[in-house]
Amino acid sequence: MKEIIAFIRTSKMNATKKILDELNISSVTAMPVFGRGKQRGLNPVLAGIELSNDAIVRGNITGMKFVPKRMLVIVAKDEEVDIIVEALVKTNKTGFIGDGKIFICPTDNAMRVRTKESGDAAL
Amino acid sequence: MKMIRAIVRPEMSDNVTEGLADAGFYSMTKMPVFGRGKQKGLTVGNTHYDELPKMLIIIVVEDKSVDEVLKIIQYKAYTGSEGDGKIFISPVDSVLTVRTGSKEI
Repeated sequence: MKEIIAFIRTSKMNATKKILDELNISSVTAMPVFGRGKQRGLNPVLAGIELSNDAIVRGNITGMKFVPKRMLVIVAKDEEVDIIVEALVKTNKTGFIGDGKIFICPTDNAMRVRTKESGDAAL
Repeated sequence: MKMIRAIVRPEMSDNVTEGLADAGFYSMTKMPVFGRGKQKGLTVGNTHYDELPKMLIIIVVEDKSVDEVLKIIQYKAYTGSEGDGKIFISPVDSVLTVRTGSKEI
């Protein structure tokens, strides 16, 4: 059992949900979060936004330190992990900075509260 | 690779993120959460607060950097009174960057 934690663009949420539905993986937890990566947030210089002289003089070129993102948590069976990751990459790849990251973490066990099933049966 | 989840005071979260950025750990995610710890919340006068607002900071680092990150978070989030927060460390099997497909953090 693995836990897939993916950080994606908020605008790609609907497309991601759709493709996961098609794969019959409907259990997803999504959370709005704020994050940044190697580029240290939204940098207007990297993003190619033209700055007015006024902004440069005032020093208003800090951009955004944390960018709003959506965090998806999917707990899946070992054999489904590759399929899910592939689907996430396919839908979320735009080629621009900020496409997100996917982490795969080991999970010991899961339990369904209603039926007390545990292990893969609980997923 | 390890995932570090730090739950800190919301007013100290900027302090922590700036401190981590100064040390070269820019990449992180933060989200506002509500929780309680050993003290079962907070009682002020007659009012009992069951859940207190905190900031959850998630950062994934290489194994060798874990101690350094812990030290920074502990130092920057410290006030000395109850409610400073907790840090959890869990393993990460693999990472994938969506845009480039690189398997490194």
